[in-house]
Amino acid sequence: MSLALSSAPLREKRAGRWPVAVLAAGATVVAIVAMAAIAPLVAPYDPLDQDLLALNQAPDAAHWLGTDHIGRDVLSRLLVGTRTTLTIGFGGAAVALAIGGGLGLVALALGRLTETLLFGAVDLIRAIPPILLALLLVVALGAGAGPVAIALGLSYAPFFAYVARAAWHREMAQDYVTAARTFGGGPLHVLRLHVLPNLAGALITQAAIVLPRCIVTESVLSFLGLGSSPDAPTWGRMVADASRTIEIAPHAIVAPVIAIVVLTTSLSVIGDDLRRRFDPLRHARATPPEVEP
Amino acid sequence: MSRLATDTLAAVALRLAKMLLQAAAIVVLVFLLVRVVPGDTVDVLAAQGDLTEAQQQAMRHELGLDRSAGAQLVAWSAAALSGDFGQSIRFHRPVADMLATALPTTLTFASLSFAVGIVIAFTIAIAAVTSGTGKAVALVDAVNIWSIAFPTFCVGVLGILIVSVWLGWLPVLGSMVLPVVIIGIDNAGQIVKPLHEELREATAAAHVRTARAKGLHPIRVVVVHLLPTALPIALTLSGLVLAGLVAGTLTMEVLFGLPGIGSLLLNAIHGRDYPVVQAAIAVIVVALVAINAATDILHRLIDPRVSA
Repeated sequence: MSLALSSAPLREKRAGRWPVAVLAAGATVVAIVAMAAIAPLVAPYDPLDQDLLALNQAPDAAHWLGTDHIGRDVLSRLLVGTRTTLTIGFGGAAVALAIGGGLGLVALALGRLTETLLFGAVDLIRAIPPILLALLLVVALGAGAGPVAIALGLSYAPFFAYVARAAWHREMAQDYVTAARTFGGGPLHVLRLHVLPNLAGALITQAAIVLPRCIVTESVLSFLGLGSSPDAPTWGRMVADASRTIEIAPHAIVAPVIAIVVLTTSLSVIGDDLRRRFDPLRHARATPPEVEP
Repeated sequence: MSRLATDTLAAVALRLAKMLLQAAAIVVLVFLLVRVVPGDTVDVLAAQGDLTEAQQQAMRHELGLDRSAGAQLVAWSAAALSGDFGQSIRFHRPVADMLATALPTTLTFASLSFAVGIVIAFTIAIAAVTSGTGKAVALVDAVNIWSIAFPTFCVGVLGILIVSVWLGWLPVLGSMVLPVVIIGIDNAGQIVKPLHEELREATAAAHVRTARAKGLHPIRVVVVHLLPTALPIALTLSGLVLAGLVAGTLTMEVLFGLPGIGSLLLNAIHGRDYPVVQAAIAVIVVALVAINAATDILHRLIDPRVSA
């Protein structure tokens, strides 16, 4: 065993094992995704159907989680809402990854000038907190799942651009990259062969960290009435709707709140573990610590 | 003037210049994004009442909406610099008045939440490094996990449910107590972990060990030796809390019915009152940019090692 390995922190030695918390979180996320997939099949009612004779009903045999202020079945809305919430959350993280990572790498590969320009712009935009930027973009792009996902993606793209830059400069300092460039390898060659494979882990880890934030931000937007369209229930919109009748129908608010907390906590646990495990940048602290919305 | 003083002065000037550039760029961005929205002010008014095409054109001309985007931006910025943000479409009041009415609520709410967050974070972190027991350290983790796991609007809703509906301690709406506590704990959770790390490193430093070894009172050790070391990082972390504070202020103002900038902005968005939307976001962002610059400059002044 080498000296370097034996002096590594305790945390590194345990890196091979999956902690119970992470396994539980993973199982929870898998279960929620599965629920989203089969939601329309198993939902007992149409999530938009209003039963005006059964408003604000407490949970019973007919409505397992009760009904909301216009008589819609909370369980059905929760199940179908899982789908919208997950789609927009994953969509937002994917757009952020594509735009932030993609643009970042292209700018880096093209040289100093484009790097300075792009990251100058990113630094400017970063002064606006993601939630406020997303809100502004939703106002500009309009409501609906697509625009919200794009707004989230643009708001969180800087996170990925910074990761790309840190990884790029780390790779550029490697001997094998110097060798490749000495032998005439152009920036694209180096990017494809050396940077991308080593960058994938860092970007995926970042995606795992950004994903729960996208979901929370989407929920906040929905809660503020700026999320997807009214005919696509999301958890955030359910909280907003139910907050108006909180005195008479508290059950309608507890269900979506628990759903949001369970999903974001599970995703955060996984993201945190992935960062410890795979992120080669963990010692360099490539990105400044960020705050949750 | 000494070398250090000149350097510091140059750095401060540079940071202020960056701040102005940032503020200007962001105001332009906000202006353009709000203009992208289909339908202008006159369309909104026309939808409310009968306006002939000629009247609409006259109104557009009067409001300057028939000019180019660049000309409008220049006119708007020039007016905004002198404190004139135009008229609200819905309320026919000067936007500046509406902002002035809403601002005290938001400033009070944000600074109270911030103060509560800092006090909680420092208390727990200091207790964790000085007590030497696992309980205080566990509390650091607990508060940190709390802020990650529970989005503030969810806590707010549950808080209303528990405090107002179940316990019956009315009235919760319109009162700042509950939201300040919620955002305060959230802020604390975001900074307590790095703060604890920093304090722990500081405790291990030779001069702190010496101070403790010679029997200096623990409170004196904290106040005289630990806190000064932790000041720069605390400053950096407080800057980071700002983003969370903005989100928290938005959601809490709406949820608890506090008449601040957040409520003003949301109402304006829903009522398509674009002059108010534009002004409210511009004010929030310019305030953030200014606070960020101020923390950077303070950081530089406190800690001469900082070169940025």
